Amino acid sequence: MPTAESVTPTSDTVTAELEPVFHVCGLARIYGEGEAAVTALAGVDFDLFAGELIVLLGASGSGKSTLLNQLGGLDSPTRGTLHYRGWDLGGADEPGLTQFRRNAVGFVFQAYNLIPSLTARENVALIAEIARDPMTPEEALHLVGLGERMDHFPAQLSGGEQQRVAIARAIAKRPEVLLCDEPTGALDVRTGITVLEAIEHINRELGTLSVIITHNAIIADMAGRVFTLSDGRLVNVRANTHRAPVRTLAW
Amino acid sequence: MSILDRKLLRDLRALKSQALAVALVMACGLAMMIVTRSLILSLTTTRDTYYERYRFAQVFARLKRAPNFVRAQLAAIPGVATVQSGIAIQVTLDVPGLAEPAVGLLNSLPEHGAPVLNLPYLRAGRLPQSHTARTELAVSEAFADAHGLKPGDTLSAVLNGRKEFFQLSGISLSPEFVFEAPPGAALPDNKTYGVFWAPYKELATAFQLYGAFNNVALTLAPGASEGAVIAAVDRIIAPYGGRGTFGRENHPSHRRLDDEIRVLQGLSIAYPVVFLSVAAFMVNSVMSRQVALQREQIAMLKACGFSNAQVGRHYFKFSLAIVVVGVALGTAGGIILGGKLVAMYHLFFRFPQLAFVLDTHVLVLAAAVSSLAAFIGVAGAVRRAVRLPPAEAMRPEAPASYRPAFIERFRAAHWFSASFRMALRNIQRRPVRSALTCLALALATGIMIVPNAFRDGVAYVLDFQWDVVQRQTATLSLVEPQAARAIADFRHLPGVELAEPFRYVPIELRSGPIVRRMNLQGLSAHATLSRVIDARPQQLTLPERGVVISAKLADVLRVKPGDFLIVHTLEGEERDVTVPLAGLADDFAGIAAYMEIHAVNRLMLEGDRINGAHLVVTAAKWSEFLHAVKNTPRAAGCVIKASIREGFRQTTAQSIGLLQKMYMMFAVIVAFGIIYNSARISLSERARELATLRVLGFTRGEVGAVLVGELVLLTIVALPFGLALGSAFARGILSVVNTETVRLPLVLTPANYAFAVLVVAVASALSALFAARKLANIDLVSALKALD
Repeated sequence: MPTAESVTPTSDTVTAELEPVFHVCGLARIYGEGEAAVTALAGVDFDLFAGELIVLLGASGSGKSTLLNQLGGLDSPTRGTLHYRGWDLGGADEPGLTQFRRNAVGFVFQAYNLIPSLTARENVALIAEIARDPMTPEEALHLVGLGERMDHFPAQLSGGEQQRVAIARAIAKRPEVLLCDEPTGALDVRTGITVLEAIEHINRELGTLSVIITHNAIIADMAGRVFTLSDGRLVNVRANTHRAPVRTLAW
Repeated sequence: MSILDRKLLRDLRALKSQALAVALVMACGLAMMIVTRSLILSLTTTRDTYYERYRFAQVFARLKRAPNFVRAQLAAIPGVATVQSGIAIQVTLDVPGLAEPAVGLLNSLPEHGAPVLNLPYLRAGRLPQSHTARTELAVSEAFADAHGLKPGDTLSAVLNGRKEFFQLSGISLSPEFVFEAPPGAALPDNKTYGVFWAPYKELATAFQLYGAFNNVALTLAPGASEGAVIAAVDRIIAPYGGRGTFGRENHPSHRRLDDEIRVLQGLSIAYPVVFLSVAAFMVNSVMSRQVALQREQIAMLKACGFSNAQVGRHYFKFSLAIVVVGVALGTAGGIILGGKLVAMYHLFFRFPQLAFVLDTHVLVLAAAVSSLAAFIGVAGAVRRAVRLPPAEAMRPEAPASYRPAFIERFRAAHWFSASFRMALRNIQRRPVRSALTCLALALATGIMIVPNAFRDGVAYVLDFQWDVVQRQTATLSLVEPQAARAIADFRHLPGVELAEPFRYVPIELRSGPIVRRMNLQGLSAHATLSRVIDARPQQLTLPERGVVISAKLADVLRVKPGDFLIVHTLEGEERDVTVPLAGLADDFAGIAAYMEIHAVNRLMLEGDRINGAHLVVTAAKWSEFLHAVKNTPRAAGCVIKASIREGFRQTTAQSIGLLQKMYMMFAVIVAFGIIYNSARISLSERARELATLRVLGFTRGEVGAVLVGELVLLTIVALPFGLALGSAFARGILSVVNTETVRLPLVLTPANYAFAVLVVAVASALSALFAARKLANIDLVSALKALD
């Protein structure tokens, strides 16, 4: 079990306020009922603070995606407490969850999930249609290093470029939280680095609380704190005294 | 059951609502096919048996008067098998319970023996007999039904200017009057027109035709030439005032029935082709999607050693299951609709018995053509599937590539929202599918236009005739023409505010060899009630000299204003008078001729005489007026405009109402089916994209709007296109229906368009909403799993 000390932010992370962004306590998610019940999360406790960069490590089936889905308002817990800035995210209804995703969270997926019928610029501009105070698509795309090729369709972009468009789309709404599920899973090392650099850049420049899921332990070195999950439990929380710059990573 | 068949059943269950949507559209086409083919079968077999059993003649002629010995000359024409001569004459009837006078066509029954041709079919009572205390008449069923007449009832008719009373002996039908309407009428008006049979002697005596005939019918010997016989008959009857011999194809009742069958034949091909094409397209889109979703399964089946033929057969069976449901629904629908339409035919056509006969051959044909439609639909999708090498099929399909839509090249495109761009580009990426969806929606809109265009056309004609042309509230006619001062009596009837006289004379109008019969209507030059209207349309002042005829009649007679016509009077002393054609009337009365009333009097070599007057009666004294009219001995009849109008309205409402409902149902099914299917396919193809939008924070409603955006655009394009298509359908059908005497204008009202648009838009919207409910089922988490 993680110690109380390990769940507090390290001196490395900048926290303007002591109130956590996420307060998680005894969070469990069980799929199905009776004998067919599968426990994906068996009760985890932690707090996440503004500006942190967290890496969630774990093998396939460890519960890390389930946890990310809970944080992102894609799914509701079976038990336990999940608060976002003091608001009961775990108990929110469907419209509440939609508003939460709309205003507070940016998602990045392994499979990019860009809209194939929209250009890079338009994929980002799509967010502008629903967000309260969005960046311009150009601003967001510059932040991820995609100043050019803005008018290309997803089918005309490389995997790394597509993923950076996805990141630009995620941060264009200026979310408080950026959730990335295996963002480099489908990419080669060099391309993966450029994508992680983009996330790191966002985290530093905008102070966005960023959570990255990976099964690649090397990536954990870029994090402020590293959570390790196994069998639906949080088995280890490690605070890096020094966050390694992404360009130094290699795997 | 093989494992593949079990898979088929489960796949079908998963796709049941889409399969049902396709089956319903297919069922519309099949129902129309079954209804029309079965009605053709019902009408033709009933007609043929009726004609044969009741010996419907093949050649007909009317003449003025020929002594009975001419009959033997006709029988001697080579190729003539049987001849029946007799008297047919039109009279004015006074029917109890009917305020206005009706027109009766009296046919004689042979003096000796039974009729040999055009035998009456007795529904009730018996045929009239000679030498009874009061002359007996048999009445046609349609007229008897309209007035609730039964054997034993009496009615009076004016025979040769004398009023006589008759007793009804029976109710009868005849193969000669399957369609029973005044000459040239498109719709029967059984209240004011009826056919009767009377014994020869009584009829002949009344019209001073004893020992003579004015009507002849004959049949041909096998192999005889109809043309040659007609020419020979014409030669023989010419000296006796022969008025043209004609064959069955020109016989009014036969022709009207034949026209109906021809229209049905057209519909029996056109509608099924349209609906089955839409169904084939829907099968294709459903199956293409199904095959795409089962790409890996197909690869697995092939990798396991299933042959291309087995895989192909599996998917073809899938569409056959849709066909089975479609045929079942179509047959049930066809039988129900058929029963209702046969009942509607009873309004127009009178047979001893007309039952709906299901054409069983058409069921086989229906199954065959719908299977063919399904096969065409499924073939492309399956061919693509079996062509894939297994190894390639195991991999997911390459991501879709897009380009900016054509329309985005315009400057205004700068303002398009992202979701609007998505809709545009999705449409452009699948141009054929989009065009066919659009076309199907346009068809749904178009078929709504047709019955309402008919309804509006009829309503327009009725309104025009009765609001613009004939503005009286009632028309009083006299038993016999009388001195014009009789009008003073009418003016003194209670409630009469205005009375304008008229004089009607039956005439033949001739121009060279072309002859038409009608009433010459004598009206005041500046009549304010019954008026003559020209093409502008404004009132035409009848000149002191000359005749005004309807424009259509001028076409038929091939004359123009300034030309001369011969008026042959058929009342009193018959004579020929040459008159100039002074102008053309442009109303919908069919063939009509008008003249200034005093000019008619001069033509008739009589003083100021009238047949009656058109009246305006104040509503407050209406019942007093009617009471007074019934006690006016000289009044032969009183036509109440409102009641005739209501009668017409009811007949058209009954027949068109059924068609409207039927077409509306078809439109709703097609619109609903096509939209539902498109939305479901879109939902399936774009599940990932839509789930992404949900994750990005789009609400369910916003994602729903993205899902249906493209369908909304297609519908918006389809609606005006559908209105144009429907207008063209209506124009085409009217050009077939319109004849010399029936002239239905093409009336396309905003209300008709609005209703079609409304029905299709509402059906589409509900369908889209219904399909979009499935958005709730999208599993956000699994939809976003990486593509492995």
